[in-house]
Amino acid sequence: MRPSGRLLRLALALAAMVALALLFAGCNAFGGDQNTFAPEGDVAKQQRDLFLVVLWPAIVVLCIVVAALVYILVRYRRRSEDDPIPEQIHGNTRLELAWTIAPAALLIGITVPVVMGIIELGRDADEDALQVHVIAQRFNWIFEYPEITTPDGELLRTTDGVLHIPIDREIAVDLTGLDVIHSFWVPKLAGKQDAVPGRTNSMWFNATRPGVYAGQCAEFCGIGHSDMKFSVEAHTEEEFQAWVDEQLEGAPAP
Amino acid sequence: MAGVAIERPTPTLAESLRLIRGQAASYRGIWSWIATVDHKRIGVLYGVTAFMFFLMGGIEALVLRLQLANPNGGIVDPDQFNRLFTMHGTTMVFLVVMPLSAAFFNLLVPIMIGARDVAFPRLNAFSYWVFLSGGLLMSASFFTGNPGGTIFEGRLGAPDGGWFGYAPLTLDQFSQGTGIDYWALGLLILGVSSMAGGFNFAVTIINMRAPGMTLFRMPLFVWMTLVTSFLIIFAMPVITVALFQLLFDRLFSGNFFNVAAGGTPLLWQHMFWLFGHPEVYILILPAMGIVSEILPTFSRKPLFGYPFVVFSGVAIAFMSWGVWAHHMYTTGLGSIANSAFGISTILIAIPTGIKIFNWLGTLWGGSISLRTPLLFAAGFIAMFTIGGLTGVMHSIVPSDYQQQDTYFVVAHFHQVLFGGAILALFGGIYYWFPKFTGRMLSERLGQLNFWGMFIGFNVTFQPMMVLGLLGMPRRIASYDEGLGWGIWNMIATVGAFMIAASVLVFIVNVVLTMRRQADASADPWNARTLEWSIPSPPPPYNFAEVPQVKALDDFWHQKYVETEHGSPVPVVAGGAEAGGEDEGHDGHGIHLPSPSYWPLIAALGPSVMALGFIYDYALLGVGAVILLFGIFGWALEPEAE
Repeated sequence: MRPSGRLLRLALALAAMVALALLFAGCNAFGGDQNTFAPEGDVAKQQRDLFLVVLWPAIVVLCIVVAALVYILVRYRRRSEDDPIPEQIHGNTRLELAWTIAPAALLIGITVPVVMGIIELGRDADEDALQVHVIAQRFNWIFEYPEITTPDGELLRTTDGVLHIPIDREIAVDLTGLDVIHSFWVPKLAGKQDAVPGRTNSMWFNATRPGVYAGQCAEFCGIGHSDMKFSVEAHTEEEFQAWVDEQLEGAPAP
Repeated sequence: MAGVAIERPTPTLAESLRLIRGQAASYRGIWSWIATVDHKRIGVLYGVTAFMFFLMGGIEALVLRLQLANPNGGIVDPDQFNRLFTMHGTTMVFLVVMPLSAAFFNLLVPIMIGARDVAFPRLNAFSYWVFLSGGLLMSASFFTGNPGGTIFEGRLGAPDGGWFGYAPLTLDQFSQGTGIDYWALGLLILGVSSMAGGFNFAVTIINMRAPGMTLFRMPLFVWMTLVTSFLIIFAMPVITVALFQLLFDRLFSGNFFNVAAGGTPLLWQHMFWLFGHPEVYILILPAMGIVSEILPTFSRKPLFGYPFVVFSGVAIAFMSWGVWAHHMYTTGLGSIANSAFGISTILIAIPTGIKIFNWLGTLWGGSISLRTPLLFAAGFIAMFTIGGLTGVMHSIVPSDYQQQDTYFVVAHFHQVLFGGAILALFGGIYYWFPKFTGRMLSERLGQLNFWGMFIGFNVTFQPMMVLGLLGMPRRIASYDEGLGWGIWNMIATVGAFMIAASVLVFIVNVVLTMRRQADASADPWNARTLEWSIPSPPPPYNFAEVPQVKALDDFWHQKYVETEHGSPVPVVAGGAEAGGEDEGHDGHGIHLPSPSYWPLIAALGPSVMALGFIYDYALLGVGAVILLFGIFGWALEPEAE
């Protein structure tokens, strides 16, 4: 093949990879309410940013490997059955060391932000966080506020599948399941944690903008799994207080 | 005298059985397949059966994709959907990729190492029949109906707990009916098949290599078989224990996973994934072995860095035991555990990268023939690179909290299992087809098959990466409008049908090819390893004389010597000729293992016992008797007639 033909192939391979990268980057243009690329909470933002830190080098590596593969297949293509048998190279120890050590260094480097992210997301919530209990069962969600007691001595709880929270304050979540394993996931605000029967898992998250954020059970739990949806409604602090007052007023008299 | 019929005495049972064995030994007729202990025939049985299950799993996938093409589906209801995706995953992992790998182990290992057969030929046959009977048992569950009704009312009896069967969902209080029992018992039976195979091939490779074939002169595929066999031997017991615990909970009021009685749901996950992660390397290492055989032949150069490719395979096998909890990052194990498994998972990418670079090094500077097997191998390299990189993305633990249980994971594992394992296995079929059938598959149809499958695969699964990042969870039967998922799902469904069309092309290719004359030469590709030195198809005894191995790629060195510059020149005529020494040799004097029907009889036992657990303990006794009867017959049968 003429050199320009070879170059064309190479360019096409690279262009395809660039297109893919743009597609990923432009994801939020296509996204809906559960788009992890359009985060509205600090946890989801950290998760997206860390993903991008790895995504770009991964795309570069992919481009290099695919371009190399396409180039090799074109450049060393057998033109005729009379072509000579090529030199029988068995290996090259220096190359082996290079392509073992370089990726290893890159990968070990990545472990640092990963462990830091694990610790940051796994820490206890701030002192002034709002405490919430999330209780999952087949096939709906119960949200309880251990710090807020209704006039008749019960914890404030909602069973309509809407978790009301204030913005700009950390929410300290304790999760459990009543029957099988479920998973609490609000993609725009934070990654998921499983609600496991017999244990209490915890996570923290926040919302930085008022709005309604879609959530969905993310651990297969049986026939109603697809419908086990919920949402998180984030209010300004005043509006949240107003909502709480409304709930407490509306509680039945003892 | 005319009109008088001469009565022939009816043969006794013993005489009939001897006739059957005689017929089987002659390689003619149905008995020669039922009673075969020849690794080449068992390989064909495995391959054809696995391909049938591939079609079944593929149809299940097409129904799933039809359901998900549009928001709010309307093709199947959630109950049917759950059973279909459970069977799709279980079928593809246990009834397709593992047995296709077993097919290649069977067909290739003995003739790559210069042996007559495997170490335990009847155990080999037993492995196959147990696989068939376990696979049929599990598939039969579709027809048993469920507590909601019979099959005629559209109620499927297949298991619906996902291929990973998480407790407590799979406990009897949440999964009524017999579906999960069929699943657990079926997997136990398939585990027996795999264990037997693991031991058989490990022993064969360690003990039966031709003189001069040291471990580092073995073809790389044989190395991968050895490593995979050890992984099977150590991994299967783990899931066996987990399945026993699940069955105890379901059938005998055990409390391993029952929280109310102090059980631990996460125990199931730990055990399943401690098996499950080595399992995925069991699925991919044979495919990597196939790629490592195809690339050198089609570039006319040796595998670059052979010792490094061997060691990276061994390293992957060892490291695979230390990463299992990366499937459990969101279960609340804590920051220390998540960090430890995050680091170990990131590190397992290193040996994988080494293989990819060595494959590129093999192609570099070669004389590359772009025939169908090479295309599949090249496709593997590209697709597995993507799969491996998305695996690294999953190991970024905080981001995995978003990715876990979404279509991003579905995209990742299909990338490595379809774009990886299946492409490699198809490449292997095209490569070795002439060796075992004496016919070359059509190159034009092969190219059509490859491009259809490759493009179809990408159209199906790349949109799933987008879907995962757009927040679409796994295992949902339908989704709402307005989430931005519709278009990507539709594209994925179109891709799935492209794949189906490419599989049809493959079937047409095989059918048309089998109608042609078997006239392929022993070495149509000018290859490097011993199997190409015997006729196509090989005689029952494989090698007329035991080969004396002097080097890695010994067959290549019989054909070419290297000048002092390293350039190969063909050996002057009079050297070893491929297949020549077998002409005229009629096989007399070569002792072969006798055919036997006892492995089949014994293999029926476990499935009947399984039915006993599900329906009536009387069947347990019947199945046990069949199994014992089969084993006794096996142990006591005369060796040869």
